[in-house]
Amino acid sequence: MKQYDTIIIGGGHNGLVTAAYLARAGKSVLVLERRPRVGGAAVTEEIFPGFKFSMFSYVVSLLRPEIIRDLDLPRHGLHILPLESTVTPMENGNYLAAWADHDESRRELYRHSPRDAEAYDEYGHLMHFMARAVKPILSMVPPDPTSFAPGDLAGLLKLGRHFRGLGGERLHALVKLMTMSSADFLDEWFETDVLKATKSASGIIGTFLGPRSPGTAYVLLHHYMGELDGVFRAWGFAKGGTGAVSEAIASAARSFGAEIRCNAGVSKVMVKNGRALGVALENGDELRASTVVSSLDPRRTFLQLLERGDLPDDLIGDIHRFKFRGSSGKVNLALSGLPKFACMPDGGPGGRLHRGAVSISPSLDYVERAYDDAKYGEFSRRPYMDIVFPSMIDPGMAPPGKHVMSIFVQYAPYTQNGGWTDARREEFGDAVVNTVEQFAPGFKSLILHRQVITPLDIERITGLSEGNIFAGELALHQLFFLRPAPGWAKFTTPVRGFYQAGSGTHPGGGIMGASGRLAAMTILKNGT
Amino acid sequence: MKYDAIVIGAGANGLVTAHYLARAGKRVCVVEQRDVPDTSADIGWIPDVVIRDLGLSGAGLRIAEPDPWITAPLPAGGTLELSRDIRRSTEAIRRISPRDAEQWPEFCGRMHTLAGVLQRLYLAPAPDIEATDARELSRIAGLGLYVRRLGKQTVIDLARILPMSIAELLDDWFENDTLKGLLGALGIWHLKQGPRAGGTAFNFLHHHVGSRLGVFRPARSNMTQALSTISGVEMRRGAHATVLAKNGRATGVMLDQDGETIAAPLVISSAPPRATLEPVALELDPEFARAVRNIKARAVVARGSLSVGSPPPYSTLCIAPSLDYLEHAYDDAKYGHDSAAPYVEVQRTDGRVELHVQYVPPGQHEKLAATVAQVLQVQPSQVQLQPAEESLYHGELTLDQILFMRPVPGWSRYRMPIEGLYLCGSGTHPGGGLPGAAGRNAARAIL
Repeated sequence: MKQYDTIIIGGGHNGLVTAAYLARAGKSVLVLERRPRVGGAAVTEEIFPGFKFSMFSYVVSLLRPEIIRDLDLPRHGLHILPLESTVTPMENGNYLAAWADHDESRRELYRHSPRDAEAYDEYGHLMHFMARAVKPILSMVPPDPTSFAPGDLAGLLKLGRHFRGLGGERLHALVKLMTMSSADFLDEWFETDVLKATKSASGIIGTFLGPRSPGTAYVLLHHYMGELDGVFRAWGFAKGGTGAVSEAIASAARSFGAEIRCNAGVSKVMVKNGRALGVALENGDELRASTVVSSLDPRRTFLQLLERGDLPDDLIGDIHRFKFRGSSGKVNLALSGLPKFACMPDGGPGGRLHRGAVSISPSLDYVERAYDDAKYGEFSRRPYMDIVFPSMIDPGMAPPGKHVMSIFVQYAPYTQNGGWTDARREEFGDAVVNTVEQFAPGFKSLILHRQVITPLDIERITGLSEGNIFAGELALHQLFFLRPAPGWAKFTTPVRGFYQAGSGTHPGGGIMGASGRLAAMTILKNGT
Repeated sequence: MKYDAIVIGAGANGLVTAHYLARAGKRVCVVEQRDVPDTSADIGWIPDVVIRDLGLSGAGLRIAEPDPWITAPLPAGGTLELSRDIRRSTEAIRRISPRDAEQWPEFCGRMHTLAGVLQRLYLAPAPDIEATDARELSRIAGLGLYVRRLGKQTVIDLARILPMSIAELLDDWFENDTLKGLLGALGIWHLKQGPRAGGTAFNFLHHHVGSRLGVFRPARSNMTQALSTISGVEMRRGAHATVLAKNGRATGVMLDQDGETIAAPLVISSAPPRATLEPVALELDPEFARAVRNIKARAVVARGSLSVGSPPPYSTLCIAPSLDYLEHAYDDAKYGHDSAAPYVEVQRTDGRVELHVQYVPPGQHEKLAATVAQVLQVQPSQVQLQPAEESLYHGELTLDQILFMRPVPGWSRYRMPIEGLYLCGSGTHPGGGLPGAAGRNAARAIL
């Protein structure tokens, strides 16, 4: 039987990043993916003949530049196309647009509030600076504040110095971003409700929180980190959908000699005397390796792949307490033509509305009320939605003249009163379509096919527990040295030779790849 | 000049500052807008050192220690009563949930340790994270060492629990709605947040500071009254004062009624930071003035009293039957309405029956008395309520407004950017619900 240096469980983007880095360092690496294709939640699938969808994750912005560089991803087919704008239709027929051009956005905002247009520059500078200040932390293995080990003390000291180096004013801004609600934070800057609603909506993505819940200002920053200099929500598409990102990383990994096997679900990690020996596959096969890495979420990594006896009780308790609470759904539509939004029937100058994102977040109260439904176990009757038309930017996604429309929806709580059923899924799809119809009359008649994805579907298909798109909520008490559990935030586990590499570890969330890269670095440093 | 210092406000913090200054030999005048002393109870832990330093025990200070400390109706009839004695409260909980009873002693212990850390932080000015001088740095290092000596669990708890919501914290520990509701209420106390909001676990611990192990309601006392009986400071009642400043220096106060000015080189205000600083905004740096304007101090509480024929059979009655009940109550407030089914707490102290009602945002309150009467099953005429116009804590105790961020970021040392002007009220570190703590810290900073 072949003995590998490293077996990686899960071929999502983080698992693939780990594989690529380890293979690049000369290790023999095998990636095992349960599904027929790699990518996890970053996959492109032809759901309806001729119509291709980034089925789950649909935009790229956080992918670490060092990964793109180290793995030479453009050579492996990665091509990011910029999203040009965000348009928010309002309920009075007006709209708020943010264009890729900063000055144009500022002029647009001026139309709503001259005061806010003034504040906009200063706000942009601050957020840009804060994102830059926080970014180094994304590439850092979190020190353990409970440990007296010299490495941890040095790490804490370095962290302390880094933050003090920001200076008083920015340090205070950081405390505010880490603790405030996005609504309160934005209230300090702006008066235009629709602006605050649209900005704060990016603070609730993937969380089970409303724009008035403390902790959402941080997610605002988390998303800001992916933005290009001075540009408001400069997100991008991967040509060929987000699956193309996974394919590019997989191709890089293969080029370094990694082996990738699909249709190979892992049932257990084999452990003997507290040390990982390899994995057992669902088909009964056993594979040996000196290092095993799980890129699955913490619940599955610790509670499913291992036996209870392999772990200390307090860690089991911590993992049980780790919150998933998936809150997002997705509706993918095949369209016979482009919908006309009442606020911008011609699609705006140059038809740009359809080349960017349309945000259904007309007011703060609208988004907050959507959350109210979710709090009590219902999907939002009038949800927050982030809509894009990938076929407008990448024509290969749909047959000529036809289009695909991707609708990210919040809130669709995993725990639904009465549970998710097929009927309930369709009801949820109807709520989404009917809400869009209110802003784009006649839109419904364009729908050729519809795919509705609930958090339960996300869990069933990708394996992400409770359908949480970040493999665990990005809440303040689940970040940094607490992600996924105190004492185990450095990619290691209590089982020697068994590592964790998924988004459920620091820094988590989004198509970022940072967790996978840091895990690989840790493994190479530990030398097993 | 007749006075060395003028203190604005004769609440607990203002009087504590005044008396500390007087004891240090300063001639102090306290200016208070009310004509007669406020007789409602002071709520919260009083630092022992204040009681000792100012001889409050000899001045008639009475701290109520009701037992049981809380009574909550059970959905199936009867009540849950929690005692000061952990064993007795464990037994009471066992009748509604054996599982929760198992958890109770450990929960109480863990929370008490964490509140102990806060207590230590509260008896001194907030750590200055921008400090470069060796003394402050060694103080911060000392605090760090102190916390780490309490054990690994405490370090983890502090990092994990402070930013959490009280709902998540309680869901981690307990299953019974009545128990979670009465504990959760303390987490939203004086906050415009629901129990699912991050930071409410901190608010819960804040209000546990100084309480005995297993008691999750702040102490009630007649502190302000006791302070009023101590001599040593001059008192001017019925006078609303505005700070006067010139060329970046405080010069005294002006009394609004007749325009009389009282000059003094030191002015110390226990009034809300915004109300104190707005009249002198022209003397302030625009960034600082903006930070003051941005202080979140949203009103959500109505306090009042209940007229009853005979004293009720409980000391504290809590109507907060579940976390969802509290969350629903908050939902109304989010959109600017009084809670349709509010959280109501009834407290019997010194023969009076006082009410705490939440959430009551500013606005119209026509139905409020009737709603509260319905919740308590009494006649509306028995309910008298005074909805607050602004946070009674002069600034909400959210994580972005505590420690070195209170009252505004970087100005937590009581001294304001106008020379000779200080703050000493609830709006400063360590905040509301701790009568005298801010007042003492401020006095020490001034001296």
